[in-house]
Amino acid sequence: MVRRFERASLKNKLMLSMLVGILLISATIAFIARWILVSSLTNELEQRGAAIAHSVAERGGSCILDNDIPRLLSLIFDERRLHERKKLVSYIVIEDQHGKVLAHTMTRRLPPAVLAHELPQDLRQSIQLVDLDGEAVYDIAAGINEGLYRIGTVHVGLNKSHIDSLVSKLRVAFLGFISGVVVIAFFLSNRLSRNITKPIRDLTAIADEISRGNFDIPIEASAPDDGWDFSDCPAYPNSDLPCWHFDLSHTERPDRMPEEYRNCRRCVFYSKREGDEVTQLADSFRNMVWSIRLYRHRLRESEEKYRSLFDSGPDPIFVVDCESGRVMDANPRVEELYGYSRDELRLMSYTSLAPENYQECLDHFDDGGGCIYFPKAIHYKRGQAPFFVNMHACPISYRGRHAIIVAVTDITEMIEKDAQLIQAGKMKSLGEMSAGIAHELNQPLNAIKMGSEYLMMVEETGQDIPARQRLEVVAEISAQVDRASGIINTLRSFGRQADLVTEKVDINGPVRAVLSLLRRQFELDNIRFRLDLPEGLPAIKAHGNRLQQVVFNLVTNARDAINDGSDPGDKAGERVIFIRTQASGGSVRLEVGDTGPGMTEEVRGKVFEPFFTTKEAGQGMGLGLAISYGIVKDYGGEVQIESEPGAGTVFRLVFPAA
Amino acid sequence: MKKILVIDDEQPTLKMFTLLLEAMGFSVLTAEDGRAGVDVFRDERPDIVFTDIKMPVMDGIEVLRNIKEINPHAEVIVITGHGDMELAIQALNLDATDFINKPVQRQALSQALQRAEERLALSRTEQTQVSLEEEKDKAVLHLRGNVTGLTGTFLQSSFSRAAALGHGCIELRFDENASINGAGITTLTDLLGDFREKGGRVLITGLSENFRTVFDMVGITRLAEFGDGSH
Repeated sequence: MVRRFERASLKNKLMLSMLVGILLISATIAFIARWILVSSLTNELEQRGAAIAHSVAERGGSCILDNDIPRLLSLIFDERRLHERKKLVSYIVIEDQHGKVLAHTMTRRLPPAVLAHELPQDLRQSIQLVDLDGEAVYDIAAGINEGLYRIGTVHVGLNKSHIDSLVSKLRVAFLGFISGVVVIAFFLSNRLSRNITKPIRDLTAIADEISRGNFDIPIEASAPDDGWDFSDCPAYPNSDLPCWHFDLSHTERPDRMPEEYRNCRRCVFYSKREGDEVTQLADSFRNMVWSIRLYRHRLRESEEKYRSLFDSGPDPIFVVDCESGRVMDANPRVEELYGYSRDELRLMSYTSLAPENYQECLDHFDDGGGCIYFPKAIHYKRGQAPFFVNMHACPISYRGRHAIIVAVTDITEMIEKDAQLIQAGKMKSLGEMSAGIAHELNQPLNAIKMGSEYLMMVEETGQDIPARQRLEVVAEISAQVDRASGIINTLRSFGRQADLVTEKVDINGPVRAVLSLLRRQFELDNIRFRLDLPEGLPAIKAHGNRLQQVVFNLVTNARDAINDGSDPGDKAGERVIFIRTQASGGSVRLEVGDTGPGMTEEVRGKVFEPFFTTKEAGQGMGLGLAISYGIVKDYGGEVQIESEPGAGTVFRLVFPAA
Repeated sequence: MKKILVIDDEQPTLKMFTLLLEAMGFSVLTAEDGRAGVDVFRDERPDIVFTDIKMPVMDGIEVLRNIKEINPHAEVIVITGHGDMELAIQALNLDATDFINKPVQRQALSQALQRAEERLALSRTEQTQVSLEEEKDKAVLHLRGNVTGLTGTFLQSSFSRAAALGHGCIELRFDENASINGAGITTLTDLLGDFREKGGRVLITGLSENFRTVFDMVGITRLAEFGDGSH
């Protein structure tokens, strides 16, 4: 019952409560009134009966004394028929003190029930309900006294049905009155509750419409009689304008920073009219609806903006589902670059396009990381053709699922250019080296030439030489051929273009390769090498021949620095390049130092800039260190410089161990 | 038995030089760097010195300078890398008498040795190094031994006399053993340039391959015609 009441509408609740209240009050009033009226009516009638009895007794006393029965009879008949008493009074009976009936108004035999009612001596009167042949009658007995003596009793029978009919008339009247009250109350409460709940119902209907997405409904409860118009809101047409801009509290508290505005305290655009709670509610509602409309509008605009960015952006963008690893969405550029249609992409696993980094990405996001950047990742087009990209991945929520948004930049061309640049730099290095290499190759060639010339001469002139000597010469020739082919192999590996994939490299390898080409040349310049290349260092992931280029660059820079500081003929200047490799804590280091003049801080800050050179015009392009820096960065390494003017320079490359 | 000093920082080269030269009948001294080479020269006074130019510690040019200080008439033959003519000319300017290219060919070596021996013989006989004769259509200047700055003035006067013969063509006939140093080359270039401006022709014959290359380098070949020396 209570639950049913709670489920009922507010209107019915109001109505019911009012009705019940009014009913309770009116019923109480009715019952009290009826009780008072009925009892007093009954009393009054009984009084009247008693009065009749007494007046009969007064007037009939003498008749009884005189024993004048006819007068007594006419007396009681008169009394009974007086006015409207004949309906009320059913009989009058007079008996003497011995209970003998002297006179009565009955037209039939006197029922014994009347006589059974005796008046005790000490009472003036008594009332008793008696049954008169099926009729209920109030029998009022009053004594007839003469002086101190009772000489008889008068019985007046009051017709109970008459009294009852009077009472029932009263009852009907009251019931009618109450019904009237109830009906009126019902109508009143109905109207009242309907008036109270109507705005709420209207607002509910509007809210329902809004939930269905229909915003174009007038809010009747607040007809804009105050000149309020949606199109006045400055934030509506311009979605770039922050809404809090129109918060009046900003002017009140100018010390607050705009970042704090997440909620407007007093919007310049919202209006509240004077009025009762319903009006207030309607206005609040109107403002709320407006706010929803505004933000929906802004949201749609922003969504359209970003969707158009997604669709027309210059770079491929994927949305990848974290759990299944499937491509949920992809923009047209993905189709162009990867060569799959969007429908095909939706059926594909992201890892078939980009096998690298995906798990790393997920782990990173699981640890609560934000966006993550992978430079030079390898992705695959249709037909498993690899190409290089820079890849940004950010965690988002997409259609209620954890997803990754992957933005990709195709850098294949850049990588190719990079490789070409590195190759060009290498060619330049080779050019610089050529004189030295020629000299270097000339030495074994010379020994071979002279050895073979010697053997020829010995043959031609028929000289007799010991077999041991002959063997020695031949062995020397063979050794010198090996030496020459070693130089050629080094050159070849240096000049080769690196593969795309890195290999595990022992850092000492490239150092030794470069030294085999340059060492003698440098020694001819009176530059000594001090090497500390311990065996058994951990490998690093890199390209051997690119590292050779880096080492070459560092070593030749060191030589140039030394030559800037002193001349080869100087006996005073210490002309040393030291090269150290070491491993420490998961990283492998290579240091190339010189005893040159060192660098100022200004130069130190610029050495990696392309086309920055300290050499004279025409001596250097200023690309060597820029290229070297790029190469080292590619392998996840870094370059540190320690240099003070007058204290030489140390370049330290730090690579992560593979 | 002539003593030859070979200075080179390459151990295999020294070994081969030793074998070859000994087989040719010389006694061979070796030094692995310039400083040691100068010391050996000072102690042993060899007749002929071969020195590599590119060496650590003390390079060939420095060695040449030091040896020429000890003995200006020493026969020093520098060994240069193939096509390294700048260094060769630099060495000639410092009075190296000849140069030989690496890889060293037996023929070039024996020619160089031969020329050196002839020059040694010449300097002992102190024969006139420039002589003039007249043929039917040209003046012929014979050049022997070392054409250096010392012979410059003599070369100039001989050349003017040859021009005065009025043939309009002068043949410079070099001997097999002739060598010419930087100062000599400069003098010769001036003379030939002047003569050519006056409308004369110069024919150069008999010059060894080495010096032909040098003349190419310094541009004398543009001022003169080369004959094969068969006259």
